[in-house]
Amino acid sequence: MRRLAPILALAGLLAATGNAAAERLTVALSTPEVRIDSNFTGVPITIFGVIERDAQTVSRGGEYEVAILVLGPPETVVARRKDRVLGVWANSDSETFLAAPSFYVVNATGALDDLAAEPLLKRFRLGFDNLGFRYDGRDAEDDPAAAEFREAFLRIKEKAGLYSAHVGGVGFIGDTIFRTTVWIPANVPVGAYQVGVYLFADGAVLARTDESFSIAKTGFEQFMFTFSREDSFIYGVMCVALALFTGWLAGVIFRRD
Amino acid sequence: MLIYLPIAELSVNMFIIFGMGGAVGFLSGLFGVGGGFLLTPLLIFSGIPPVVSVATVASQIVASSASGALSYWRRNMIDMKLATVLVISGIIGSSIGVFVFDALRRMGQLDLIVSLAYVTFLGLVGGLMLAESIRAIINARRGRPAPLRRPGQHNWVHGLPFKMRFKRSKLYVSAIPIVVLGTGIGFLGTLLGIGGGFIMVPALIYLLRVPTNVVIGTSLIQIIGTMSVATILHAMASQAVDFVLAVILMVGGVIGAQFGARIGQNLRGDHLRALLAFLIIAVAVRFLVGLVVSPDERFSLTLLLGGGL
Repeated sequence: MRRLAPILALAGLLAATGNAAAERLTVALSTPEVRIDSNFTGVPITIFGVIERDAQTVSRGGEYEVAILVLGPPETVVARRKDRVLGVWANSDSETFLAAPSFYVVNATGALDDLAAEPLLKRFRLGFDNLGFRYDGRDAEDDPAAAEFREAFLRIKEKAGLYSAHVGGVGFIGDTIFRTTVWIPANVPVGAYQVGVYLFADGAVLARTDESFSIAKTGFEQFMFTFSREDSFIYGVMCVALALFTGWLAGVIFRRD
Repeated sequence: MLIYLPIAELSVNMFIIFGMGGAVGFLSGLFGVGGGFLLTPLLIFSGIPPVVSVATVASQIVASSASGALSYWRRNMIDMKLATVLVISGIIGSSIGVFVFDALRRMGQLDLIVSLAYVTFLGLVGGLMLAESIRAIINARRGRPAPLRRPGQHNWVHGLPFKMRFKRSKLYVSAIPIVVLGTGIGFLGTLLGIGGGFIMVPALIYLLRVPTNVVIGTSLIQIIGTMSVATILHAMASQAVDFVLAVILMVGGVIGAQFGARIGQNLRGDHLRALLAFLIIAVAVRFLVGLVVSPDERFSLTLLLGGGL
């Protein structure tokens, strides 16, 4: 207990100064739950934040910088490369990505490299280069042997609108209020989404806060999806019954003989 | 109007899909074929994942074949015994087909094999059909009558053992070629998302000498049986049958087929067959181009786990 005392005292002091000196972040989302229904074609989510300061907060020389990260549920994806085999293009090499974010958006007030040094960006997974992909059968994160597949993964995800990085995507309204808008496309995977908001100044993280929202199918879409997964035999029989009925109905309506 | 497909997990323009179903239905009514060999590629080329396209078209084929079979049923133009043998063997082929389909999908070679099979079978059938119809057109121009096939004519198929009697078709033939035919077409149909009527009908006529008046009705029953099983097996194995997509395609298809059938009655048989042959060859060439031309994007992503699941 005696050896712990100075550490506890230090921790207490840090906590106290932390409370007094650091900024606090309050964040709100425009939509806590995205519902996918039959006419879902994508939706924007706006993230608002307020930097709270009080009289004791130290004044800073540099400006505030904010980075906002949105992460979709992890997925295991295989990337395949086509090569010419006997004159035709066929899948040959592949690389399996383990627990890669299915959706990834990072918006910031400025270029990420200007916000903080690389180790910090890596820790918070800010930026495509700092995602730390893991591959099946490879121990090292971001193994350079898989670089080609990594680039292809990012390219395809970006093209599908599921990955994006937008410098200047976070804007300040006044000195302490900021906001960003993230477009959720129609092909978005369902599940729990994490939002991380990071406040930087002079290359250091002053505050961070986490939020979350969910994307779920609703009503008929949810029912059909669950039905097809859980009672796949009955679902199949139902599809056949519908087909026979449609065919029979058409045969009766358009009867010519 | 955009509509979200719950299984394919993307939104599509409902009218475009409806139009595709209608156009393919029109052609299938015109030529008297199922049209799966046109619809599946159209869906794939328009961005629906191949797995969903093949599995969903299987159910659409059931609908379009059922509406056709009804009128043959009313006119008693179906050999039920022959159809039963074909359906049973078709179910065996279909089961093997779903198994191979799923294995290829896991290996990442489904698209390649589907493309190669389309090029091979459509190229072959289209080529044969074109040659035959051109010969018929030339004969008609020169005023020569088409060579008649007498019912008594026999070929090597009729020398095989395990003979069965089919009263409606007035046939006494070996069960072997029937089972092979049913299994083969069930397998191909499940793998490629086609009914296989355009292979089945000529095979029944030329190989087994089934009378032409019962051929189409019997073939339709075989397609309904095989594709029903294929739909259920696809729903269980790959879980890729999209109900919403299927409904749009079915409604478009059965309406289009009615108009096609009316126009088809005013066209000559050999001309129709030549047109159909061109269409089949065009689809084969489109797949060949896809295989040979350097792709814009050499990489592809396939979801194994998580995300939408």
